[in-house]
Amino acid sequence: MPQPESRTVTTASAVSAMDPVLFEVIRNALVEATEEMSVTLQRTAYSTNIKTRLDYSCAFVDAEGRMIAQAFCQPAHLVTIGRLVPRAVAEYADEHRGATLGPGDALLVNDPHRQASHLNDVFLISPFFHDGDLVGYVANCCHHVDVGGGAPASIGAFREIYQEGIILPVVKLFDDGDLVDDVLKLMLANVRAKKEVAGDLRAQHAANEIGLRRLSTLWERYGTEMLGSYMDRMIEYSERRLRAELAELPRGEFAAEGCLDDDGITGEPVRLKVRIRFDGSTARFDFTGTDAQRAAPMNCNLTQCFTACVYVLKCLVDPDIPLNEGFYRPIEVIAPEGSAVNVRPPAGVVGGWEVAMRLCDIMFRALADPLPKRVPAGTKGMICHVGFGGEDPATGEYYCFLETLAGGYGGRHDADGPDAVQTHIQNTQNAPVEETELNYPVRIHEYSLVPDSEGAGRWRGGLALCREYEFVGHEPMFTTLADRARFPARGLYGGDAGKVASYMLISGGAARDLGSKATVQLTAGDRVRIETAGGGGFGPARERDPEAVLRDVREGKVSRARAREAYGVAIEPGEWAVDLAETGRLRRSAGR
Amino acid sequence: MTGNQFHLGIDVGGTFTDAVLICEETGRIDTAKVPSTPADPSIGFMAAVERVLEGRAVDPGTISRLVHGTTVATNSLIEGKTPKTAFVTTEGFGDMLEIARQVRPSLYDVHFEKSRPLVPRDLCYEVPERLDAEGGVLKPLDEDAVREIAAALRARAVRSVAVCLLHGYANPVHEARVAEILREEDSDLLISLSSTVCPEFREYFRASTCVINACIVPVVARYLAGIEAGLKRAGLQAELLVMQSNGGVLTAAQAASKPVFMVESGPAAGVVSANFIAGQLGHTDLISFDMGGTTAKAGAVLDGRPRVTKEYEVGAQAQPGQGMTRASGYPIRTPVIDLVEVGAGGGSRAWVDPGGGLRVGPRSAGADPGPICYGRGGTEPTITDANLVLGRLNPDYFLGGEMELDVDAATAGIRERCAEPLGLAPIEAANGIIEIANATMVNALRLVTVRRGNDPRELTMVAFGGAGPLHANRLCMEMQIPVLVIPPSPGTASALGLLVTDLRHEFSRTRVTAAGAADPGQIRSLFEVMENEGRRTLRREGVAAADMAFRRGIEMRYAGQSSEVPVALPREGADDGTDARALVGAVCRFHGEHERIYGRGYPEEPVELVNFTVTAIGRIARPRLSKIGANGEGVSDALRGTRRVFFADAAGFVETAIYDRARLRAGHHVAGPAIIEEVDSTTLLHEGYRAGVDESGNLLISPGRAP
Repeated sequence: MPQPESRTVTTASAVSAMDPVLFEVIRNALVEATEEMSVTLQRTAYSTNIKTRLDYSCAFVDAEGRMIAQAFCQPAHLVTIGRLVPRAVAEYADEHRGATLGPGDALLVNDPHRQASHLNDVFLISPFFHDGDLVGYVANCCHHVDVGGGAPASIGAFREIYQEGIILPVVKLFDDGDLVDDVLKLMLANVRAKKEVAGDLRAQHAANEIGLRRLSTLWERYGTEMLGSYMDRMIEYSERRLRAELAELPRGEFAAEGCLDDDGITGEPVRLKVRIRFDGSTARFDFTGTDAQRAAPMNCNLTQCFTACVYVLKCLVDPDIPLNEGFYRPIEVIAPEGSAVNVRPPAGVVGGWEVAMRLCDIMFRALADPLPKRVPAGTKGMICHVGFGGEDPATGEYYCFLETLAGGYGGRHDADGPDAVQTHIQNTQNAPVEETELNYPVRIHEYSLVPDSEGAGRWRGGLALCREYEFVGHEPMFTTLADRARFPARGLYGGDAGKVASYMLISGGAARDLGSKATVQLTAGDRVRIETAGGGGFGPARERDPEAVLRDVREGKVSRARAREAYGVAIEPGEWAVDLAETGRLRRSAGR
Repeated sequence: MTGNQFHLGIDVGGTFTDAVLICEETGRIDTAKVPSTPADPSIGFMAAVERVLEGRAVDPGTISRLVHGTTVATNSLIEGKTPKTAFVTTEGFGDMLEIARQVRPSLYDVHFEKSRPLVPRDLCYEVPERLDAEGGVLKPLDEDAVREIAAALRARAVRSVAVCLLHGYANPVHEARVAEILREEDSDLLISLSSTVCPEFREYFRASTCVINACIVPVVARYLAGIEAGLKRAGLQAELLVMQSNGGVLTAAQAASKPVFMVESGPAAGVVSANFIAGQLGHTDLISFDMGGTTAKAGAVLDGRPRVTKEYEVGAQAQPGQGMTRASGYPIRTPVIDLVEVGAGGGSRAWVDPGGGLRVGPRSAGADPGPICYGRGGTEPTITDANLVLGRLNPDYFLGGEMELDVDAATAGIRERCAEPLGLAPIEAANGIIEIANATMVNALRLVTVRRGNDPRELTMVAFGGAGPLHANRLCMEMQIPVLVIPPSPGTASALGLLVTDLRHEFSRTRVTAAGAADPGQIRSLFEVMENEGRRTLRREGVAAADMAFRRGIEMRYAGQSSEVPVALPREGADDGTDARALVGAVCRFHGEHERIYGRGYPEEPVELVNFTVTAIGRIARPRLSKIGANGEGVSDALRGTRRVFFADAAGFVETAIYDRARLRAGHHVAGPAIIEEVDSTTLLHEGYRAGVDESGNLLISPGRAP
């Protein structure tokens, strides 16, 4: 593997002070401990959101609160854990006159205004002791299907956080190994999906216990001193590698901006702005000029904003660099307090991840000019939450369901954007139709790609997807918290924008556009049809290989009419062949 | 040689095709290794058959059993060499394969790709019909639409079709009717039904299993027919049996209709072999460790039964440290022996990353060009090169001397690519490569032991594959595994597994039921239906009733969870395992299993019964292996000399005794540090360990000093 000479020389001296072998062994063992937490959490969880859609994450943080190791799951959560743990632990100590945590304790927190994320993301933090000393924390974050508030699944659009659900400041859920019943009782009294929330909390605890068990073996083997010094090395190693990459990125300042459809309360779009500066050893992300925060759900906090920046930078550099505290060090984020990217209480925040997701799209666009080969065109660019709940006619119990829908990815400089896929900070799986229908009073009539929804391009964007629900024998509340109904995923380098999303209620034979953020009371037999957004194209559509267009037409992803209009490709009538003469004519005339 | 009957096993791998021949009367084993012939694997197959028979001048007519393990099914998928296949599903869901799980296989990579659907979108057909989750008909099947699809399939020259209708697991009525109509319209069409192949819920996973079956049916059927014809020409009369992914065998006819059950046929044989070898020693809880040229595979056997999983992806990338959201391959939901595979084989490459870290694998130099020391143009250091530099491999006795290894080239390569960039001596770097590879393998071992709740200190390791015996002792040290078994001829030991297993068929049905409300009578009849199906299949395969056995199991979970834990239903005497008391017992065991695996059980929480399973087994007599016996000579007779070998625990080279395994006899003991060489492998014995030789020729390695 050839590497530039200078790089090899500078790294050699830094490494010589440690055993590179033990370094690799310890690093893998720490990651493995978090992976084991991850498996436990998934397999023992109760809500579809955790067990099937994998909307959770696990990590290990050292005693100083530095992110050390994390399992492969949701990028969104992982930065948050690292930011939240030191703060939560410190606040807990402050609020309890310096009281320290002991073995068997576990802290529960979800307060976004303390730099958790949105209320649905509930964090459980367990201190890890070795020989009586605190040496770190295992923590996990789960998106709970419901945390109370004004709409089932707790994703409704409201002005204040108090309307969004139960706020958990930093409280003990476990004290010296015992469940603090009062806290659990209080929490369950405030949520709709009691069984799922209780089961998922149990799973969160089981995951941390498994993590603690695994770490104990490791600490018994190597001891605190040695592991401490290797954890320092791991952090230095990531920082060193990131800085080496930053040294090779083009220097300068790169800006872009974009808009969310609306804030969920008023029809006013939320404008997001970023200027990214690379100076050879640091990356600065400046969001000055972004709209002020709204009394609405479409605000994110500083942690979520930082998460988006880490995500984008991580994608630009060697994917092999381990993500830990060292990776964060060269990153500077300037996000004006009180803006939509650094929200102050008591504003709503449930749409915070929607904001952070769009920031990723905008940041990639800012970097398209200096780094055309490393960024995708605009993507579905939203989390696209769908939630519903009500009384299950079969059991008489209150049920609650949440899922997030995929969309098109953006075209790349040498490849199409994949169809129907989660993007950026989100990588949640879909809920199987059969499992959903088995467990909830809903019927899904269609789950398909949306033809012609791609942004045309030399490399086309990915197709959006469609999901149509029918509610059977009961009258649930239905909520979407999404975006992209007004502003499409943009193309790059002459590529076209993707198709915008649509959110339709079909009731009594009439269809009504709900917009991207809505909570509606349905009647039995109502249907909701959601078509998400397609990805943007990369490069001019008329430069697309006609054979690739033909394949898309043949596969029914692109219509013949669109092939002609958007791509200037004519397909022989009744045959699967490109009409070369006509295509040449079409493309020539478009060129003039 | 007349009068004796023989059992023959043929294992077609990616690089080599192995043959193992056992004499029924004497238990003597002969093996042969020939290069695989990927373009037409049956050529290598027949070559291996001829080679092993020639070696002993065995008359082909005396082969009484013939078992085959193969990766041909998987390879045809991975290489995209499957014939045109179509997919039929419920209206509204034709994009099931395109959408798949809607996730990316790698998180921080804007250049990712989703795995390409095995059936292109224009060969995915939708048919109007709909069942609900209980199997009730919401919308009747539109038969005319099915006939139109049949016409389209004919027009497109489709040979094989997968049918997976929504909730088809709960009621096969519509799928069965679709099959009837398609067959009426085209009697040559090969049809795979999800309700037959894999009647479990979660549509994408069932569909994926069914589609893979449909894709490989034509390939496997043709391949097996070709082999059967070749065998006939060569005068072999025995019925061809095929190893499945679950470790059992089935007849070639069965394999040809449900080939998705044999995608991991080859690797499964290794675990079965390990289980057999340990079983002969009375060990029922073990780890199978198979290290070859490109990967190392670890599997667990508990209570004499290999662990089986239903979460498997064909063609997924093996990457240490990568978690569950893999989505880089095609999922199947048929039982597969639970193996963890890591990219650490003899040919795995070592490199220095841009941050100054020494890394090993998962990329491999393969067999061609191979490690630097092979002298075939390889330039990147590998695990084999490191072992050579450390004195662990004998440059003059690799493959019994068939290939000479170039120590100087290996040393120079490691110096240039690994040692100098890190400021290390080549020996230190070589040792580092081995330590890192070992650490990767330890992670794999952890995955199949501690992560599944099994304590490695209570297990035996059986190590094989060409490279396994070089590393196994160190791994046992790390994992505190008390006993290590190295079978004779480790390089072909995996193929032995083909000859020491039973006919085996798995059946399952999804019926989600609250444990408290379960009706034992209904459950009993569900089991009986599956058992009757199993009985019919075994009878067709010629198994006598006395040799049949049926195992019942229920996969359970806490009501609300989605991951099920399998619980076996014991069958004692007349108890059929499904009366109310037996169910209570099974639920109790579920709580215990949940606690064992996930650290906690919740006995107060309600439990659901999800999948009901039956394993139908047709017992096959095991061969008795010959004994090597003692010859009165001392162990010094096997001593070949000494060589300087590097040991990390000694922090340097140690003058080490080298033994010839072929001359070791039962009762001999060798004390570490030592090296034991044989034609297809090399065993490294560490200081503080000793190896005893048993009557079957196994090396039994445990902590201890020379006697």
